[in-house]
This record gives sequence, C-alpha cells and structure tokens, in this order.
Amino acid sequence: MRHVPSSACLWILVLAGATTAAQTTLNPDISVIPRFLIVTDDGGRLAEGKREFSQPDFQLQELEFGVQAYLNPYARADVFLSLKGPDIEAASLGLEEAFVTVLRGLPLDLNLRAGKYRVEFGKLNMVHPHAQPFVTQPLVQERFIGTEGLNDLGISASLLLPTGDVYTRFTADLLRGRSVVEAAGIEDTSGAKPLYAVSGRLSSFFSLGDFSDLETGLSWYTGIHDPYHRDRFWYWNIDFKYKYRPSAYTSLVLQGEALLNVRQAMQDRDLSPFLDASGRPDPQDLTTSGLYVYADYQFVKIFSIGSRYDWSEDPYSVENRAWALSAFFGFYPVEETICVRLQYQYTQTSTPTQSRSVNSIGLQFLFSLGPHKAHPF
Amino acid sequence: MKRLPGILVLLLAVTTPLSASTRVVTSIPDLADLVRQVGKDRVDVEYIVRGDQNPHYVEVKPSYMMKLKSADVFFIVGMDLELWSQQLIDGSRNTSLLVVDLSREIKKLEVPVGTVDAREGDVHRYGNPHYWLDPRNIRTMLEEIVVALARISPSDEEFFRANAAAYERLLDQKIQEWEEQIHPMAGQKILTFHRSWSYFAAWTGIVVADQIEPKPGIPPSPSHTADLISLVRRTGIKVIIVEPYYDTGAADQIARSTGATVVRLPVSVGGVPEAKDYISMISYNVRMLFTALHG
Repeated sequence: MRHVPSSACLWILVLAGATTAAQTTLNPDISVIPRFLIVTDDGGRLAEGKREFSQPDFQLQELEFGVQAYLNPYARADVFLSLKGPDIEAASLGLEEAFVTVLRGLPLDLNLRAGKYRVEFGKLNMVHPHAQPFVTQPLVQERFIGTEGLNDLGISASLLLPTGDVYTRFTADLLRGRSVVEAAGIEDTSGAKPLYAVSGRLSSFFSLGDFSDLETGLSWYTGIHDPYHRDRFWYWNIDFKYKYRPSAYTSLVLQGEALLNVRQAMQDRDLSPFLDASGRPDPQDLTTSGLYVYADYQFVKIFSIGSRYDWSEDPYSVENRAWALSAFFGFYPVEETICVRLQYQYTQTSTPTQSRSVNSIGLQFLFSLGPHKAHPF
Repeated sequence: MKRLPGILVLLLAVTTPLSASTRVVTSIPDLADLVRQVGKDRVDVEYIVRGDQNPHYVEVKPSYMMKLKSADVFFIVGMDLELWSQQLIDGSRNTSLLVVDLSREIKKLEVPVGTVDAREGDVHRYGNPHYWLDPRNIRTMLEEIVVALARISPSDEEFFRANAAAYERLLDQKIQEWEEQIHPMAGQKILTFHRSWSYFAAWTGIVVADQIEPKPGIPPSPSHTADLISLVRRTGIKVIIVEPYYDTGAADQIARSTGATVVRLPVSVGGVPEAKDYISMISYNVRMLFTALHG
C-alpha cells in the first residue's frame, strides 16, 4: 500500500475543511416535511342503510421537500416539491411551488414574484397544510378552490401602501388561470386556448397592543371556469385573523373567511344545460358562497385545542350545501419538529334529493426536518 | 442673491424638521438603552422584542416590518439569536436600512466544534449569543454603535463619542461596585433554565453546574429533572435561575425536593419592573443573586 505524505494529508484536510465551510455557507435551506394520516369515517355504507366506521386507513398525505435561499442581494428563490398521497405506492412527485421573489431594487419598493406559487388569495391559501392547525381543509376551500389551494403559474407584484403606521399591502397577480379548472376536474376541450386569471388582495395589519393583533383582507379572483364556453367567474373573499398571545406558552387564534362566487354558466354541476321555456340554451348567472371560522387555543407550550365551523354551497348550485363542525387537538412535544393532530369532524351534505351526514376521525403525524422559513403572522 | 418667495420660505419652515433624528430599531431593549446613551436626543429608538419575551422565538409580524421601514439603522445581537430578523428586514422593503450585528468584535463563548445539528437542540452555530450579560462587553458594543450612528449622521460623531465615553466611565464605576459585591461568591454553583448565563458566569466567577433544559430549547424530561435533583443535593446548589419567559414548573419541582431557591432574573431590560435600563438590570441581577446565594 502506498503511503500518502503527511504534508499531502494536511493539505487534503485543509481543502476538505474549506470545502465543507463553503458548502455550509452557500447551501440553501433544505427541509423535508412528511405528513401521515390514519383516517376512518362512518359514511362508506350509508347507501346500504348502515352506519359503521371503516377500518382505519393509513395514508401519506404529503411529503413536502423545500429548498429556499437567496439568489443574490436582490432576490430569493423558494422551491417546494410535493409527493402527494393518499396511496404511498402510487404517489408521484409534483411541483408544489417554484418561484423567485425580487425583494429589492424595484421602483416604489415593489416586490415581484414569478413562477408557480400559492396565490395570495385569502389567508389560509398561503399557509402550507403542515402549518395549519387542523387535519382537513375547510369545505369552502375544497369546493371552490380545491384541496391543493389556489396554486398556479403567474407573476405577482405587491406594494406597501402609505397608510401611516398601519401595514397595508396590495398584491396583484396575472395567472395562467388553470388552478380552479383543474381542481374542479373540468376537462379543457377548448383547444388549449389560454385562460388567464387575474387576482388581487388588499390586507391590513393592526397591532392592538402588546399581546393582540388583527389582520383583515379582501381578495378577488376572476378567470374562466368553463374553457369550452369561455364562461367567466368572479370570487370575492374577505378574511380576518385575530391573535392573542399573552405569553410564550398560551395563545388564542380566531380566523375566518367568507367567499362569494359569481359565475355565468351554460349548464349545472351535473352538466344539464340551462334552458329557457322554449328549450333554447339560457346561460344563467349563479351566485353561491361559503365560509369557515375557527378558533385554536394553545393552553400550554405543547398542547392546543380548537374547533372549526364550515358552511358552503356548491360553485354551481345553491341547493347543494354542506356544513361541518370539527374539533381538533394538537400535540407539539419538542417545539414544532414533531406534531400530532387529532381531528373529529361531523359533515352534513344536502342536495334537493338527499341529505347525508358523516362522522370522520383523523390522526395526523408529521415531522419537520431542516429549517423551513416561518410563516409570517 | 435672489430672494425666495415668502410662501416658499413658509413651506420650507413647516416641512423641514428642526432636528433630523436618526431613526434606530434594535432587536432587544438592552441595545435600545445603549443606543439612547450614545445618541441621546439625536436618535429615535424603538425595539422589537420586549424584555419579558423570549428573543429566540419571535413571530414575524407586519407591525415589526413597519418599524424597520422607516428606520435608518437596525442593531441586532447577531450570532443567530434573531433568526426571525431577516424576514422582517425583507418585509420592510427598506433598501437603505443599515443592519449592524453587534457581535462582530465580541469574544464568543461556547462556539460549537464539529458537526452542528439538532441533536444538540437549538444550538447556535456561531456560539452562545447572550454576550450582553457580561458588562465588560458593553465597551465593544458601544464602539460599534458609535461607528454606525456616525455613518448615518457624520456631523454628530463627536457628540456620540463623548456620550459613549461618559457612559463607559459610569459603567466602569458600576462594574467595580458589582464585582465587589459578587466576586466573593465566585466558585459557587448554580442551576439555570437556559444557557443564557454563560457570559455572566464568566464575568462573576459563579459556576453554572447545569441547565434545566437538557439541550438548548428542549423541554426538561422527568429523568433529566431527577438527575438535576441528585446533582443539587450532591453539590449543595442553592440557587436556580429562571428567565422571566420560561415556565418555573421544573425549577419549582427541583427546589421543593432540594431546598434550593428559584430566582427569576431578567436577561433583558424590562424583564422585571426593576430593570428599567441596562445598569439597573445588572444591578438587580447582582443584588438578587447575592441575596439568594448569601442567604
């Protein structure tokens, strides 16, 4: 065996050390956050007139892989890949978000964002699911936006408005416009004509003293919901978040959103065309809505409890309604590196012909590996 | 020389401030107090974290971004104490903000060697950041503050230097008084909740035998608490220091089992009502610790 001279060893060690130091300095923040779920409900055999809980099903909800770093003194980049469940064998890796944000150097102190990202529409849409205190999404989000949230390719510009000490932010987005269509499972038979959507949000943050803060927001979104007929829709959304945090160990969050949907439609949800008395196509303006409100109370450092109320109509029908009441419990044994959440939800759905209720229980487990940039207030 | 129209003169008089103060934001109130000592009435100072809050964990609030939006200088402790600060800086959209890390010239303690990962809890990769609790480090911090303020307002540099020198003289006098009081206690062992007191201990000679947190940021387990109870009994530790923002449950349990005394000591100005500024905070800590150890 050949011996390596000691001086060479020394140089190798020095170079290895330098390389390691350089990597530590230049490597982006990398995080991996898998979410697992054990879920059961009693709705599987209701059609047979039986109400019994299903065998608990073990699922992968999502594995989120995040890479975040500054690109240069003016811009940072965020990339999130996502492995979606629930079937762990069939899960495929997808692009959750990949965007660059120009933070400095633009006129009027504008921030510019480009890529694929969660759109600033409402409050909850911008929060990754692992950071939400509950296991299930609110019904209004599932029905109008989709379980993956309003997440699209686009360009966004945001501006701080001169409102004194009150933080007021205005954001406008130009989007590819396929997020809502794809979430609704609508097949695009239009020959791939561009859809485009425009979105905006105006939000204000009020500090109500040392321990309390309030944020309110108004969002809107307009796009094409029916690619074939080029029918347009408008979403209007108001949101609020109040937080009372008297100490590091206790906090109370109250948050809610209400969405108003206005859309022109040629056919209803079941693809039955709207016809006038003489049987000719008669496009109709539909106005439906939905809302949620929740409270989450952290009563000691590692435990929290909360409850959420959901009510929502269907994007295409005021007669297809649902409401839900849920209770959830969170356990964070070591900061937020490990989290266990338990949620019970009672959901009642009704259509003109039937009404059904389902009880569901979900136990979620997630862990957070590596630094993930904190979600702001 | 052409004369300005009267209305223009009036407008200029109304819109031009009489004295343009340097606007300063600091991460913790201790730094705010030091900046006030140097800048006096020529600075407007605000801070982000209250003295009774844990500076490690701060929610990124837009109201903090607004403070930084109109600031000239942002002083931070550095050494990754304020991991939340970069989001505030970015959110402020203040492109001319001067960010000054006051740890640059500090002789750092407990700098980890080898692999730094979560096995060590919330360990700071650049070392223990609680250096302001050793008053001998204040001189270094004052120099950084003077240089930064003078960059914003060069014409006030002599004013800043004179104020810093006067404060240093006062501090030297206080350090002597504090040392006379606390140095007889050198060598005595204490327990602390978090590793906040390493610099304070290095100055006073008091020995921190262990922490109630098994690792920084990690809550105490029953077995670790049991180990601490036997350590306190074995070594005769009399005092357990807990910062104002930590729960005293585990410390109380150890105290009940051993007869030790739990003392809440602030690590920042405003942590207790008596800690109105940096000097009164250190005076309070020295006095309380002396009383607890002596009793």
